[in-house]
Amino acid sequence: MSKLHAKNAAQKARLLNAEHWLCMERARFYTQAHRETEGQHPSLRAARALQCVFANMTVRIEPDELLVGNRSSHLIAPPIAPERGDFIFIFDHLMEELKAFGYRISESDERFLYDELIPYWSGKTVRDAKIAAFRAHGLVSQLSVRPGEIRRKLRSFGARSLWRLVVNGQQKRTVLASMTRLPRLLRALRGGAGDNIKGRGRCTDTQAHIVLGHKNVLRLGFSGIAAAARARQESAQTAEERAFLESVELSCQAMRDFSDRFAAAASAQAADTVDPERRAELDAIADACNRVPWLPPQTFAEALQALWFTQNAAIISYGAGSGITPGRVDQLLYPYFAADLASGALTRPHALRLLEEFIIKLNNNVIIWPNIGGVELNHLGSDVENITLGGVDAQGEDATNALTYLFIQAIANTNLATTASFRVSNKSPKSFVREVVAIHRETNSPAFLNDETAIAAMVRDGYAVEDAREYCLVGCVEPSGNGDTYGATGGSKIYFPTALDLVFNRGKTTFFGNQDGADTGDPAAMATFDDFLTAFYTQLDAMVGWVTDATNLRDAIWAERFHNPLISSTIDGCIANAKDMTAGGARYNFGAVGGGGLGTAVDSLAAIRAMVFDERAMTMGELRDALASNFRGHEALRQRVLAGPRFGNDIPAVDGLARDVVARFCAMVSSRATICGGHFKASLISYGLNVYEGALEPATPDGRGAGRPLSNSMSPSNGAERCGPTATLNSLTRIDHTHIGYGNSLNLRLPVGILRSDKGVESVAHLIRGYFDKGGFHLQFNAVDTATMRAAQARPEDYADLIVRVSGYSAYFTRLGHAIQEDIIGRTEFATCG
Amino acid sequence: MRLNDPETCRVFDVQRFSIHDGPGIRTTVFLEGCPLRCGWCQNPEAFGHGHAKPMLIAAILAEVLKDESYYALSGGGLTVSGGEPLLHLAPVRALLEGAKGRGLHTCVQTSGAVPQAHFAGVLDLVDLFQFDLKHMDSPRHRQLTGVATERIHANAAWLLQQGANVQFRMPLIPGLNDDAENIDAMAQFLITHGALALCLVPYHRLYVDKYRAMGLEPGVQGLEPPSDARLAQVRQQLEQRGVAVTVEG
Repeated sequence: MSKLHAKNAAQKARLLNAEHWLCMERARFYTQAHRETEGQHPSLRAARALQCVFANMTVRIEPDELLVGNRSSHLIAPPIAPERGDFIFIFDHLMEELKAFGYRISESDERFLYDELIPYWSGKTVRDAKIAAFRAHGLVSQLSVRPGEIRRKLRSFGARSLWRLVVNGQQKRTVLASMTRLPRLLRALRGGAGDNIKGRGRCTDTQAHIVLGHKNVLRLGFSGIAAAARARQESAQTAEERAFLESVELSCQAMRDFSDRFAAAASAQAADTVDPERRAELDAIADACNRVPWLPPQTFAEALQALWFTQNAAIISYGAGSGITPGRVDQLLYPYFAADLASGALTRPHALRLLEEFIIKLNNNVIIWPNIGGVELNHLGSDVENITLGGVDAQGEDATNALTYLFIQAIANTNLATTASFRVSNKSPKSFVREVVAIHRETNSPAFLNDETAIAAMVRDGYAVEDAREYCLVGCVEPSGNGDTYGATGGSKIYFPTALDLVFNRGKTTFFGNQDGADTGDPAAMATFDDFLTAFYTQLDAMVGWVTDATNLRDAIWAERFHNPLISSTIDGCIANAKDMTAGGARYNFGAVGGGGLGTAVDSLAAIRAMVFDERAMTMGELRDALASNFRGHEALRQRVLAGPRFGNDIPAVDGLARDVVARFCAMVSSRATICGGHFKASLISYGLNVYEGALEPATPDGRGAGRPLSNSMSPSNGAERCGPTATLNSLTRIDHTHIGYGNSLNLRLPVGILRSDKGVESVAHLIRGYFDKGGFHLQFNAVDTATMRAAQARPEDYADLIVRVSGYSAYFTRLGHAIQEDIIGRTEFATCG
Repeated sequence: MRLNDPETCRVFDVQRFSIHDGPGIRTTVFLEGCPLRCGWCQNPEAFGHGHAKPMLIAAILAEVLKDESYYALSGGGLTVSGGEPLLHLAPVRALLEGAKGRGLHTCVQTSGAVPQAHFAGVLDLVDLFQFDLKHMDSPRHRQLTGVATERIHANAAWLLQQGANVQFRMPLIPGLNDDAENIDAMAQFLITHGALALCLVPYHRLYVDKYRAMGLEPGVQGLEPPSDARLAQVRQQLEQRGVAVTVEG
């Protein structure tokens, strides 16, 4: 029986059953203002656009809600930011797929989209400028082959498996739509319109991925922030500085006006409401919105309203898919909670109701993306707003508090795909870890993060230790500063197996076929494994160079054209430096490069070392031929490599390869500077995209076929783990996680039913502690068993709220594509003795 | 096969992260060889069909020590199982000595059907005996497992006299040993020997496919796991006699 408050149960049901809409309000009003501000400073243009959006967009107050702040004209409709270009690209190429997949758009919005929005922004977006810059700097590897050749290439990648990916789980209509649109998609690809750069790297249009400075909003209110900007004007030296500071004041005022609209709407609704209880709630909403976030909150309810409202407004300002993160909500809100409890103004049940509603709201987001390749990214909660709970305070003492536990209860009661990060230190109460483990009985959400490792990594990257201790998790599992950092923790990525491909093909990738990198010599002529490894690192370093160059080119476009004074105003440093966050205003600045497919690459290197060099079971030439033909006619060879040693089994020699690859990669990444003065940090996370990531990757020496998924995040390859979870954890901790500044993720599927007993919960808690004692950074569990998932595949309607974690965030299993479902099921299930 | 080579054992599995074979997180080492042939046996590898491989005690120990930190956190350690591990006194003693030398908690899972001298030979090295009682009636026990109960019961009594830490476990096999008469006899046995606790291990069928994969047929077929209601009845019957019951599985 659900323990969820009845009013919240109703809100949850409405959310689960709501249609997904494409709403053009944010795009329309931003564009309207943008047109009127040609030639002005980018900070001012952004502030005026924000004013226009906040003044004109629909204000909604949903039934039963106590916290207000919506992002669009429908319950579920992500705010669309055309200036980035990613949305324009999607609408330009994939609208039919979006519609086939259930997204709705009003006729007038669709007309506006195609008649006005796309024509206006064509050539003006970050994406347009980015692609031009990539081309100018020789960073694009265009698909320069004829369509006939593309088909041949797809065939050599096992076109059937690729095609299955496209077809899987879709209506015939959708498949036909995809087929007719395939040439157009390929044209888009050929035109370099993707985020692809050479060496199979990726660089998206967005930056963001930032922890909002909620701490400053709660402490000062936007009135206080505006006052600080005004005070800073007196010492402003340049027109640029003055423009930025003015834009902060305008943004703060826009927040006040926006909040006033909600106060007015609540009052108006109250006047029409007969039910005295609801009328009182609406009056309370109006009172709160009249005060916060303009003024600092005085109560727990006001603090939560201010936090939610600011969170929501920031997402509108940047658009969906931006990784705007609330941060340490238990720490931010605790003082208000404690004071209200002490004064008797708040009861625990009411606090729980508010938290449940807040958690439901954190799940009201979707990534706008159709089902392509059997991968669905658009489930509720997919555009993660990760909350951080527990951990130590700035002084290094345990900061777990009563509100932390209330959040745990709210997450369990809500049972949505909440992305919540639980910081565990060696000072955390044992009961804290046990309680979070036990949540898996209700919901599959929590991730565990190791304070000691994360803080050491932050300090290594240049944070003061007090700031490092306040770290929050952004996106999936990326540790970043608490409202003091412009981190852009996601968006740029390379894949380790590509470096293998480049070695085997002497600087070319199999799929694109261009001379992307240096010719590192004929692999068949390499005398030792070290020679091969040297070539691998040479190619990897070049790939890191391309992706960081590309990222800097993109970031320069943001710094020059598209500012965000609202978010900047909350971040430490921006007002003091009188500079937008995109231009280096924040106290700490970093960039990110993700590495994908570690397990695939390490298993491949291990196979090459064992089979080609140590045992001489095959020659490099034979291996190269087998890879080029996707193992066709080489099944015996493939079986031999599949039986070889694998990462994840506590084998020191193999794990040592993983350690070296990660250490070298992290050093390559950290040695590159961002345009804002910081350096790049590495991450090893897949965002659940490892199925996509493998689609254009040829066969690999570990026996993986062309087009098959890569290993996910820092986890071993699917099916590679044969020795149980402790062996996997031992393998993982042979890697120094403190090098991986932007985090890594390990998804471990727990034995079926282990959490039914207290002993099981206790044992999982010991696994976590043991992993963290050895330096592991992140751990999360899938406690759903295979039979459950098979049943869910057969009868999705009966398992609508079955949740699984995919690489750092939670997902609704039945809304995942078939390929990902199979991928999850394929993850090794550890047996225990009964 | 030399059963008592002190240097090697025939091992058919080393299972890490075992949490149902004694306290804490454990590694369970499964040794080949068993004097019993229980129809519900979940480890037919123990019967000696070539599924075990000889391992040096030092190698087994090295494997076990890979999870040393998890034992320290959880109060776990090494469990020696089988088959009947105490068939192989010398190597098992060597393995247990190695584990105790590293401060590990040690557990031996036994059918009791070995000479008393074998218990005496490891007594000082074992923190916990998990001692199976399958049926109280000797002819019936012989029918079900191939051996009589006399030596088993004598060993159980002797271990208790020596002050050993013994946890009695009963595999609950519907229709074969869960009748009221046997349960009552079980309670009587425990009361007589002053051991007022029993761990029930309900029958399961997860092993059936393993037999098929090995080209074997399980001795008992078509059994269902005991229902929750049946389990509760058995538990109640034991508890009414003053026996504390836990259920493993």
